[in-house]
Amino acid sequence: MKAWAITSTNIKRLVRDPSTIFFVFIFPMLLILVLGASFGGGFTPKVGVLVQSDGAFAQAFADGIAENDEFESLDYDDAAVLLADVERGVVQLGVIIPADYDDALVAGSTAAVEYIGRLDQSSVQYRASIEAVASDQSAVVRAARVVESEGLADFESAVAAAQLVASGPGGSEVIVSTAGEALFGDIGQFDLGAPSNLVLFVFLTSLAGSAALIQTRRLGVSRRMVSTPTSIGQILIGETGGRFAIAMIQGLFIMVGAAIAFDVKWGNLLGAGTLLVLIALIGAGAGMLMGAIFDNDEQAGSMGVFIGLGFAALGGAMFPLEIFPDTMVTVAHITPHAWAIDGFAELIRRGGTLSTIATEVAVLSGFAVVMMALGTWRLRAKLTH
Amino acid sequence: MIICVKDDRQAKWNVMLMPSEAKGCNLNVLECSGLVKAFDELVAVDDVGFHIAEGETYGLLGPNGAGKTTTISMISGILESDAGRVMVAGKEITTRTTDGNAEIGYVPQDIAIYPDLTARENLRFFGKLYGIPKDRLGPRIDEVLEVIGLSDRGDDRTEEYSGGMKRRLNIGIGLLHEPSLLILDEPTVGVDPQSRNSILESVELLGQSGTAVLYTTHYMEEAERLCDRVAIIDGGKIRAEGTRRELVELVGQRDTVNLGVIGSAHRLVEDLRSVSEIQQITAAEGSVEILVDGASRVLPRILEVAQEAGVGISGVEVVEPNLESVFLHLTGKALRD
Ligand SMILES: Nc1ncnc2c1ncn2[C@@H]1O[C@H](COP(=O)(O)OP(=O)(O)O)[C@@H](O)[C@H]1O
Ligand SMILES: [Mg+2]
Repeated sequence: MKAWAITSTNIKRLVRDPSTIFFVFIFPMLLILVLGASFGGGFTPKVGVLVQSDGAFAQAFADGIAENDEFESLDYDDAAVLLADVERGVVQLGVIIPADYDDALVAGSTAAVEYIGRLDQSSVQYRASIEAVASDQSAVVRAARVVESEGLADFESAVAAAQLVASGPGGSEVIVSTAGEALFGDIGQFDLGAPSNLVLFVFLTSLAGSAALIQTRRLGVSRRMVSTPTSIGQILIGETGGRFAIAMIQGLFIMVGAAIAFDVKWGNLLGAGTLLVLIALIGAGAGMLMGAIFDNDEQAGSMGVFIGLGFAALGGAMFPLEIFPDTMVTVAHITPHAWAIDGFAELIRRGGTLSTIATEVAVLSGFAVVMMALGTWRLRAKLTH
Repeated sequence: MIICVKDDRQAKWNVMLMPSEAKGCNLNVLECSGLVKAFDELVAVDDVGFHIAEGETYGLLGPNGAGKTTTISMISGILESDAGRVMVAGKEITTRTTDGNAEIGYVPQDIAIYPDLTARENLRFFGKLYGIPKDRLGPRIDEVLEVIGLSDRGDDRTEEYSGGMKRRLNIGIGLLHEPSLLILDEPTVGVDPQSRNSILESVELLGQSGTAVLYTTHYMEEAERLCDRVAIIDGGKIRAEGTRRELVELVGQRDTVNLGVIGSAHRLVEDLRSVSEIQQITAAEGSVEILVDGASRVLPRILEVAQEAGVGISGVEVVEPNLESVFLHLTGKALRD
């Protein structure tokens, strides 16, 4: 089939170009690695604190977190709400101080604090900070116990004793246990960054790839195709197919690569596949539209990068939408990026299926139809006028 | 409308009819008429029509911006025309048809090949688009590479080629499917003399093999050397059309016959005055220059007169006026600025 000859030539040319190999395949994976390793950096994490005990130690622990300016602390009174908010990313971590907290400390046994967090690199960092608060309190408890046991009452002696005891063995302590593990057992360090990067790069490559189409037009190869016994329809299918195939190849590479290299779990495969096909179609349509509108391939290439990065930033593919104010979240949804990322989040974080992402799929299908129609309409006109 | 043009070489009259009258008339590989194309205000092609017979090489001679590329773009079905009709091998050509396109080998003015693919890959790609059957395509690519002299470089990327090599591949792609009509748009622009000569030779061979060739150029010498008939195009209009001879006569340009004479030319000059076709005679020591209408017809008479006058002839040279002077006469400007 003639359309396939055009599509396969597009792929052949891409695969042959070492610079696109880097930008299409290597760079996205590097970025997933880098962003995955530092995900969540650059903003103040929110910690949700649920105090189930009315004891003084429990309150002191909560105050310790509130006073720590590494965090913004929010009070919760329902464990389920806190879990859901961590899951949704409203807060980055949750701390539950159980009802028997004070009793356990007073009894000299181990008091456990539940910690709910994502298992990414920054979580480890947050957890260390919570543990620091815990160990401060632990020291005080030991000091108090020393004061009590020695019958001394004055503050300075208590501190001195506490310092002594703090380095010594024994005594009760606060253990921070991770509750998130059971809940988010499937969430890996890179699970949040990988879909964003997938969406970002598939669109970016499609838009920047319009340069190849313009080059084909400017070289006169497109006109020459029209001169052969090949219908304009076949040429449009071939060129669209080329852009689509490249987007799909890149998307699949990122999906499979991230799954293998970073253990990213994409969730429901049918759902994830549908989202990928849709963003590849939107990207292909947008690439064709740019390839038809612009006549200068370098201009289109840099415009493509500019628009691609701009929409990615706006649509939450660079920074998670959760940190955006509500109006910005609404605005973000003029981009296909936001819808696609929502869809992936549903699949990955909440075990969604094709039916639970029906809204995202419907909206993305709309984007795809519009972009494809515009792209083929403009390109058809450019080819014969 | 009927256009009749005497075709000397084939010693027959080519008759071009309007489409309604042309039914059943398959003499011509290409027939086009009434072609119009405007870009906004600018009418780039204005009522252009002509026809090309099998084995005939037809030239569109005109300066840059004359409308040559626009005309052949409409003929090749890559540009929508505002008006007019194109038939190739009896099939209508528009941007929406594909049937007749298989009869056309279109070689664009610019080098339209993928730089990051090899010659062989470029040929294979376009071969598929031309619909050449798979089993035929491989051998045909080898043949074409041989014809364009790129057999040993066929597997190199074309971006490594010289300008002349790219030009030859550009033409080779148009030859792949052995079209009935080969359209060449200024194929020698920016080409070294050696490549240029080989291109011109290939075109001559193609004409002899029966392929109809539409050749555009702004080089007068190429049109004179290659083309059986030439249309002079300027400002989107065909100003004149015919064989070189016809065009030259059309504008009343005369041939010059230079005779080398032995002895006195005086008597000869006297006697030649009686030959009616002769317009002007200039005699000098050992030579006579004669301005004449249709040198080929009058030359025997001139030699006869010389013999009767007893004047020895040491040499004869006939200089025909060229298309450059025809163009100048028709448009008031030179072909190249
Ligand atoms: N796509 C176009 N848009 C606007 N003007 C054009 C276009 N193509 C050609 N022209 C104009 O039409 C005229 C004829 O151009 P062209 O057919 O390319 O001439 P030639 O091939 O004889 O040099 C020129 O004045 C040119 O500027
Ligand atoms: Mg031209």
